[in-house]
Amino acid sequence: MWANVLRANVGKVLIEMRRYLPNTVSLVITFYVIFLAMFLGITVVGDPEAADTNVRFLLVGNAVWFLLLVGINSIGWEITTEATRGTLEQLHMSPVSPRWILLARLVGHIGAHLVIVVLMLTASMATVGTWLAVDLPLIVAVLLPMLLGVTGLAFAVAGLAIVYKQIQAMLQVSQFVFLGMAFVPLSVAPWLELAPIVKGVDMLRASLVHGVGFADLGAADWLSLVANGAAYFALGLLAYGAAERRAIARGLLGRY
Amino acid sequence: MPGASATPTALCVDDLRKAYPRRGREPLLAVDGVGFAAEPGQVVGLLGPNGAGKTTTIKMVCGLVRPDAGTIEVCGVDARRRPRDATRRLAAVLEGNRNLYWRLTARENLLYFMGNRGRSPRAVAPAADALLERFDLADKRDALVADLSRGMQQKLAIAVAVLAGTQVLLLDEPTLGLDVQTGDEVRRLVRELAADGRTVLLSSHDMAVVQDVCERVVVIAHGRLVADERVETLMRLFATRAYDARLGAPLTPAQAADLRRAFPLVSVSDDGLHVRVDLERGDDVYRFIDVLRRERTPMESLDRVAVRFEEVFRHLVNGDGPARGAWPADAAGAVREEVSRVG
Ligand SMILES: Nc1ncnc2c1ncn2[C@@H]1O[C@H](COP(=O)(O)OP(=O)(O)OP(=O)(O)O)[C@@H](O)[C@H]1O
Ligand SMILES: [Mg+2]
Repeated sequence: MWANVLRANVGKVLIEMRRYLPNTVSLVITFYVIFLAMFLGITVVGDPEAADTNVRFLLVGNAVWFLLLVGINSIGWEITTEATRGTLEQLHMSPVSPRWILLARLVGHIGAHLVIVVLMLTASMATVGTWLAVDLPLIVAVLLPMLLGVTGLAFAVAGLAIVYKQIQAMLQVSQFVFLGMAFVPLSVAPWLELAPIVKGVDMLRASLVHGVGFADLGAADWLSLVANGAAYFALGLLAYGAAERRAIARGLLGRY
Repeated sequence: MPGASATPTALCVDDLRKAYPRRGREPLLAVDGVGFAAEPGQVVGLLGPNGAGKTTTIKMVCGLVRPDAGTIEVCGVDARRRPRDATRRLAAVLEGNRNLYWRLTARENLLYFMGNRGRSPRAVAPAADALLERFDLADKRDALVADLSRGMQQKLAIAVAVLAGTQVLLLDEPTLGLDVQTGDEVRRLVRELAADGRTVLLSSHDMAVVQDVCERVVVIAHGRLVADERVETLMRLFATRAYDARLGAPLTPAQAADLRRAFPLVSVSDDGLHVRVDLERGDDVYRFIDVLRRERTPMESLDRVAVRFEEVFRHLVNGDGPARGAWPADAAGAVREEVSRVG
C-alpha cells in the first residue's frame, strides 16, 4: 500500500519535472547566473585575502537557497494549482491521508532537486575553480535532519496554500527569507539557532567551507540539529493538519 | 420483509446540516436537514436549483466538507467517525473542474490515482486500458490531459472514479457541457454501472438525463429536502390529471363559462376548439366528459397531457402541487401524501 503510494507520487513528480524541463532548466540557469554575479561581486569588490573563503561560502549558500526554494515554495504553488483543478479534492478522497501523499511528493521533489543541486554545485565549482572538500558521511548526517525541517516548512506552506488561496505574494517574499536562512551565519545571529534549518546550514558551511569534521562537532551541535529538524517537522505537520481541518470545516478545498 | 439481508444500505444520509461561516455575517445555511438512502444497483438523482445545496451535500458525503450535524453511512461505515474507511468505498467526480492532472497523460492519470489508493500500476493497467477502450479514449491514452477536449476530460474523470471500483459513485453534474453523443455515452455508462450493482448519486440540471437514468430523485431547494421519490411515481403523480380535449365544434363563450364554473383550472383556446383541464382527482375526468356531453359538444379526442419531468421538477421546487394552487409549506410531506393516495 505505502510502497505504491510512494511510487505513484515520486513517479508523478519525475514525469512532471520532465514535462516541465524548460522550467527546471531555466530555474537552474537562473541560480547559476545569480551565483556568477555574486562571485564577480566578491572577487571585484571584496577583500582578496578572504576571497577563497567567500567563494566557498557563496557556493554553499546558493545551493541551500535553491534547495529551500524548490523544496518549500514549489509545494505552495502546486497546492494552489491543485485547488483550482479539483485534484486537491481528489487527493482528499484517497484512502490514505493526504499528508502522506504530500510527504511522498516531497520525498520525490526534494530528492530530485538534491540531484540537481549537486549538478549545479559541480558546474559552479568548475566554473570558478574552487572545489569544496566534501566529507560525504558528515554532509549526509547533517542533511537528513535538516531536510526533515525543510519538509516541515513545506507542510506549513502547503497548509497556508490550502486555507489562503492567494499566497503568491507571500511566496515571493519568502524567497528572501530563505535567502537569509541560507546565508546568515549563526555567529552573526546566534538566536537563529532556534529558527528552522539555519543550524543545519551552519554545520554544512562549517564542514564545506572551514573543513570541520565529525571530531570537531560536539553533542550539543547534533542535539540542536536533530531537535530543530524534528521540531519543525512536527510543527509543520500540525500546522498542515490544522489548515486541513479548517478547510474542511469551511469547504475551502475546491474553492478558488 | 422476505429476502431482506444483512447487507447495509450503500449510502445512507440522515439529517445533514451545514452552515458555512461568513465573515461579519450570520452563517450561510447551505444544507438543512437533508436525508436519503441509496441501494446497490440504484441511480439516485440529486436535484435542485442553483445554490440548493447539492454540491455541498455531495462534498459532505465525500468528507470534503464537514457537516455541522447529521450522519453519513457508506456501506455501513460511519463516514464521520471513520472517514478513511468510508472514502475507500466511494469515488466522486466533482463539478466544474476536471479533477485531473493536466500535465499527465490520460493513462498516467488513471494509474496515479489508483496508486494513491494503494494499487500497483501493474495490477491496474489492464483494467485502465479496458476502461479507456470503453470510454472511447483508447487513442488518447498517451495524450496529455491538457490536450483533451472538455468532454474527453470529463469522461476521463469519470473513468478514474469508475476504476476505483467502489460501491458508491458520486457524480456532480456529469453531463454538463457535453455534446449530445458524449452525453448519451455517459448516460449509458451510468446505467451499466447500476446494472453492475453499483450505487450512483448524480446531480444534474438536465431533466432528460435524470428521467433517463435515475430510478429515484432527491429534490432539494434552499438546502431542504422537497421530495424523495421514484421518478416513475412522481411522473404518475403529476401526469394523471391533466387532459387535453380537442373538440369538433368550437365552444360558445357561454359554454366556456359553464365549464369554468365546473372546473376552476380549465383553459380554452382562442378558437374554442381546444380545452385543457387540470383535474383535482383522477375520476373527475368522467365529470368533465359529462359536462361536455351536456353541452352537446362533439369531442374528437381526449388525451392525457404528457408531463415532462422538467415540469414536475418545477412544481416541486416552487412548492406547488400538481394542477393545484399553492402547496402547504411542508411540500415534501404533501408529496408523500399525494404519493400514498395515487400509489
Ligand atoms: N465553501 C463555501 N463557503 C461559503 N459558502 C458556500 C461554499 N460553498 C457553497 N456555498 C454556498 O452554499 C450554497 C449551496 O451551494 P452548493 O454549491 O451546494 O449549491 P448547488 O446546489 O451545488 O448549486 P449549483 O446547481 O449552482 O451547482 C450556495 O449559496 C453557495 O453560495
Ligand atoms: Mg453544484
